[in-house]
Amino acid sequence: MGGMLGIVAAAILGVVMMFVGLISQKSSVIRIAGVACFLILVGVTAFDFSAIHEQGTQLYFNNMLSVGIKASWFNVLISACAFIYILIFNNHITKVGKNDAEYFALMLFIMVGVFMLSTYNHLLILFIGIEILSIPQYILAGSDKENIKSNEASLKYFLMGAFSTGILLMGITLIYGSVGSFEIGNIATAFQGEVTALPMIGVILLIIAFGFKVSAAPMHWWTADVYDGTPTAITPFMATIVKVAAFIGFINLFHGAFGNIHYSWKLTIAILICVTLFIGNITAVFQQSVKRMLAYSSIAQAGFMLFAVFALNDTAEKSIIYYGVSYTLASIGVFAVLIKLKDYTYEGFNGLGKSHPLYAITATVCLLSLAGIPVTSGFFAKYFVLTAAMEQGLWLGIIVFAVLMAAISIYYYFRVIRAMYFTSSTEEITIESNPMEQILLVINAVLVVLLGLFPQFILG
Amino acid sequence: MGVLMRRNAIVILMCVELMLNAVNLLLVAFSTLYGDSDAQIFVFFIMVVAAAEVSIGLAIIVLMYRKVQSVDINILNRLKN
Amino acid sequence: MSLDLIIFIVLSALTLASAIGVVITRNPITSVLLLILTFFCISGHYLLMNAQFLAIVNIIVYAGAIMVLFLFVIMLMNLNKDTEPQKSTMVQFAGVISGGCLLLVILMAFQSSGIELTQTSTTVSNIGLIKVLGKKLFTDFVFPFEISSVLFLSAMIGTVVLGKKDDDIATAIQDS
Repeated sequence: MGGMLGIVAAAILGVVMMFVGLISQKSSVIRIAGVACFLILVGVTAFDFSAIHEQGTQLYFNNMLSVGIKASWFNVLISACAFIYILIFNNHITKVGKNDAEYFALMLFIMVGVFMLSTYNHLLILFIGIEILSIPQYILAGSDKENIKSNEASLKYFLMGAFSTGILLMGITLIYGSVGSFEIGNIATAFQGEVTALPMIGVILLIIAFGFKVSAAPMHWWTADVYDGTPTAITPFMATIVKVAAFIGFINLFHGAFGNIHYSWKLTIAILICVTLFIGNITAVFQQSVKRMLAYSSIAQAGFMLFAVFALNDTAEKSIIYYGVSYTLASIGVFAVLIKLKDYTYEGFNGLGKSHPLYAITATVCLLSLAGIPVTSGFFAKYFVLTAAMEQGLWLGIIVFAVLMAAISIYYYFRVIRAMYFTSSTEEITIESNPMEQILLVINAVLVVLLGLFPQFILG
Repeated sequence: MGVLMRRNAIVILMCVELMLNAVNLLLVAFSTLYGDSDAQIFVFFIMVVAAAEVSIGLAIIVLMYRKVQSVDINILNRLKN
Repeated sequence: MSLDLIIFIVLSALTLASAIGVVITRNPITSVLLLILTFFCISGHYLLMNAQFLAIVNIIVYAGAIMVLFLFVIMLMNLNKDTEPQKSTMVQFAGVISGGCLLLVILMAFQSSGIELTQTSTTVSNIGLIKVLGKKLFTDFVFPFEISSVLFLSAMIGTVVLGKKDDDIATAIQDS
């Protein structure tokens, strides 16, 4: 039965978390329980991975789920990332609103959706997985009930999500209409050589729907407002773990089911990449708030991750996992420093390098990683994704374009670094720091560098 | 189409429901075409999920209404900055 | 013309008319009522296609539960007036154009895909019966069935978390 214990464990732990909230009102107890739950989750997925490692790919429930080595390795890594996120942010999460235990429970339910997206083998599971992924997010986005921006973010996210669900379902229906089956394997065998217009529209609708979920460019307009309005403690979870999971779902579907008709959707994805990179990077340059800048930079990062969807080979599937982990860790590091500041504009960072060197250094490492400077993991992430695309051949143009855009991104990441070290602040920044958190931040930054030095750990 | 045309958040939600129903109808038609009941089960799940989604959506809209006394989505744009 | 065909044409016309009505009318209450009419028509379509179980579920879940929820909220907010301002004509125009384009593209795709669209309502089958569907739901589809409980649980938590009034604020208001 090993292999899908992660899903079961996440669901059960979510319920346990709610009971903890019932028993104890103390936020410290809830926090410890939340951290423990995520630790157990990491353990369970690791156990899953070892089981799968011995048995090979397993199919469950009449081919509903197929758990392979890659999928279960991804599950381990993503739950480890979630664990790090919870460790760093747990006391911020409890400050957001009154229902502390419920927030942790909802995050555990989101993890159920994440695991479903990495292992689904049936379009119904994909649909339910995406819903489980998004419905708790609408709530988390609106969890700061007193803040009108949070309400607004929640409503906007909800309307966008409901709309994209409709599009996703229409795509699935058209695919079913031309194949007569919902199973990924059957779809792949049915789509070979030329395809008619009906499944083609289905594929395009699916690209649009996933574009909404991963915030690719023409469908990106909700991202900045939603990430900005959502409480800062929740945003990193939405921007990293959920987004990476949506990408894994995207890749599983397009490599698994539509791999044989790669030629038909290659161009669409290529256009999507260019538009996403362009809009994400250019708009990020003009932002005044660092939080909004990070939202746009996450759009730009999505553009790079789309390369893995674009390139149909083994390297791509490995590199998306690597990219996801490196992006997640780096973003968590930046957000962890951002949440400490009162002022989210660039001026808010002024003089941080002098007053709080430790925070400034960890933020710098993470920003460098996001920008893709060598030695950090971000460099190799971009490198692997682009080489995967290179193996596709003949598409040198957009790779050059991507490198150019990466160079632009360095500008706005360095603006933060410059503010921290080279601009002195008129007023003293006061940050309440505790040693535990500082240690965690350092560990996080060290991980970012270590992954850059030893990428084989994740790829192997 | 309705989603694009209207400004009332509740009506937009209703239009999304309409979209889901179009999908359901198409799925049932395909299911009769192929003589395969998988699609009907899928429709069943879509209904189930739609119900959950509507309940969340209305909760969010009510929350918003308590704050701004309106369900006009243009207010969202006004509050952007 | 067979009876089936006549019923189909009348139902389709009614469905389309009421669906367009939902989008066009400016009064939310009228919209809701028209939407209920649309759902009934769609249930009629399900019956024509031998999907009896779904026809009943559609009426119970959509027309019964979801629409009542909508009506409650609209009544609660006292929105039964035509106060909604119009979007600019440009946006409306764009909406109509894009919707029309999608319709055309899908229609053409159906035409070129070679599926026999006319045969759908004539085949007699028992796949839509509760017995068949129930068996399938609890054997092949037991995993999505179980996992959707997680979805419901999170939706439930969500409505409670969002809908609940924070006690501290209420007391704070009373104190002041």
